[in-house]
Amino acid sequence: MFVSRSMIKEVVTISRKTSVLDAQKIMKANRVRHLPVVEEDGRLVGIVTDRDLRSVYPSITLPPEEQQKEMQRLHEYTIEDIMTREVVSIAPTSTIQDALLLIEKTRVGAFPVVDERGVLIGIISVRDLLGAFIKVMGVHEPGTLLGIVVEEKVGELKKIVDVISEEKISLGSILVARYWDQNKRAVFPYLLALNVSRVKKRLQAMGYELIDPLQWHLGQGENGT
Amino acid sequence: MKKTGFMYDQGLLLHDTGSDHPESPERLLAVYSGIRSANFFRLLIPVDAQRIDFKWLETVHNPDYIYYFEEICLSGRTYLDSQDNRMCPDTFDATLLASGGVVNACRMVMEGLIDNAFCAVRPPGHHAGQNFAMGFCFFNHVAIAARYLQKAWGIERVGIVDFDVHHGNGTQRIFEEDPTVFYYSIHQHPTFSFPGTGREFEKGTGAGLGFTLNSPVLPGQSDQAYRRHFEKDLCPAFDSFKPQVILVSCGFDAHEDDDMSDMKVTTDGFSWMIRRICELAQRHGSGRLISVLEGGYCIRRLPELARNHVEILIGC
Ligand SMILES: [Zn+2]
Repeated sequence: MFVSRSMIKEVVTISRKTSVLDAQKIMKANRVRHLPVVEEDGRLVGIVTDRDLRSVYPSITLPPEEQQKEMQRLHEYTIEDIMTREVVSIAPTSTIQDALLLIEKTRVGAFPVVDERGVLIGIISVRDLLGAFIKVMGVHEPGTLLGIVVEEKVGELKKIVDVISEEKISLGSILVARYWDQNKRAVFPYLLALNVSRVKKRLQAMGYELIDPLQWHLGQGENGT
Repeated sequence: MKKTGFMYDQGLLLHDTGSDHPESPERLLAVYSGIRSANFFRLLIPVDAQRIDFKWLETVHNPDYIYYFEEICLSGRTYLDSQDNRMCPDTFDATLLASGGVVNACRMVMEGLIDNAFCAVRPPGHHAGQNFAMGFCFFNHVAIAARYLQKAWGIERVGIVDFDVHHGNGTQRIFEEDPTVFYYSIHQHPTFSFPGTGREFEKGTGAGLGFTLNSPVLPGQSDQAYRRHFEKDLCPAFDSFKPQVILVSCGFDAHEDDDMSDMKVTTDGFSWMIRRICELAQRHGSGRLISVLEGGYCIRRLPELARNHVEILIGC
């Protein structure tokens, strides 16, 4: 669940003296959208994105001779002139959940990962996080998702998990969500099996309500969640 | 009227999955009884089940996996890798018999002894991959049949239609890079159903891109949704691919009374589907079609479903 396990460790970096044009070539050649800027000792001092680099180009609405002049000046620009200095970075010991919340809050597409000395040790992008989340949810593993409504009280989850393990079914993941009824929770165990009829029957016999997948689908739409 | 072959063997009942497993011998007995009691039964041409020649088995399955399955089976273990894949010491032989029967049906179609065939087999096959058992399946009969048709008879384009309610992930994986076998599957949406694959954007890879097509259907839908997808997805795809032979992964578990799914397909809905597939076979492959039983767990409905299915094969 830690960022260090999902981050990319071989990071393409540049220095503050790299020219804007070189940075652009490096970005293209490595097919990345974020270039962390580091000092010789590896400390992170900034970051540039593909958008930052694009915005340096002269506007095509300028008259041709102005454009020419601007293009000339482009050769003199270095990363230092355009990089973002207030980098939103994250620690290797941060969790995937931290990173997800940080994305939601900052709308940044990738976070440099820095250790306590400020040295860059990796980078984690939205894509890497999605991959980690897919793994956690077990979406790639073959299985069957159940939806069960439970009362909001202690021990309910344990009873469900007990039935699953008694039936010798591997549990891929389990998700607990707020249900549209205040005092209830919806539990979504992802079972790594095709044959889940016995689990279903036993849960129903214990008085649990299984969520009709159709309702579940429509209900989610109605709630706008 | 067609010359329709029918493959069934009591040896397939020996595959014992223990009590409380939905993939039971009773399923096959229900399918058989529905066909056996029909008026048209005397018109059917028997297709023998026989142990498959390993030459054909190995066109799909890894020799290591075949050996592993046999070893575990003979050791007396009651399941292979997962409790889903329950077995008994007879399971390996029964599976060989099932695969061999399907290959035999293909041979008879190609020799012109029959026009089409229905193979009442178990265990099912479409979840099984090159080197794994999954979802009650050990060997992928339909995939083996496709390879057999290509290698033994030089068929260049095989079309597979899989209307089992679960996505045939094994079959898809085996052919996803292959432009000579078109895999079409219609199934309950993967978020709501095992095995969680078969999304619209899974369309094959590499040279096989465009030769896999999936129609996921949301829970609760019935005949209309299936019809719509057949007309919109399957028919145009097969009209341009022009399969010379069609193989059907015939699962009846999308039926409204089948508790393995949340789909609401009626008995008539299944008849409509097979009729439509027969038309495609007629148009592109001189009617050559081999239908192979996959899932279907409603013992009460299986007799009528199987009977209608075969009746349409004869009548088309
Ligand atoms: Zn099925």
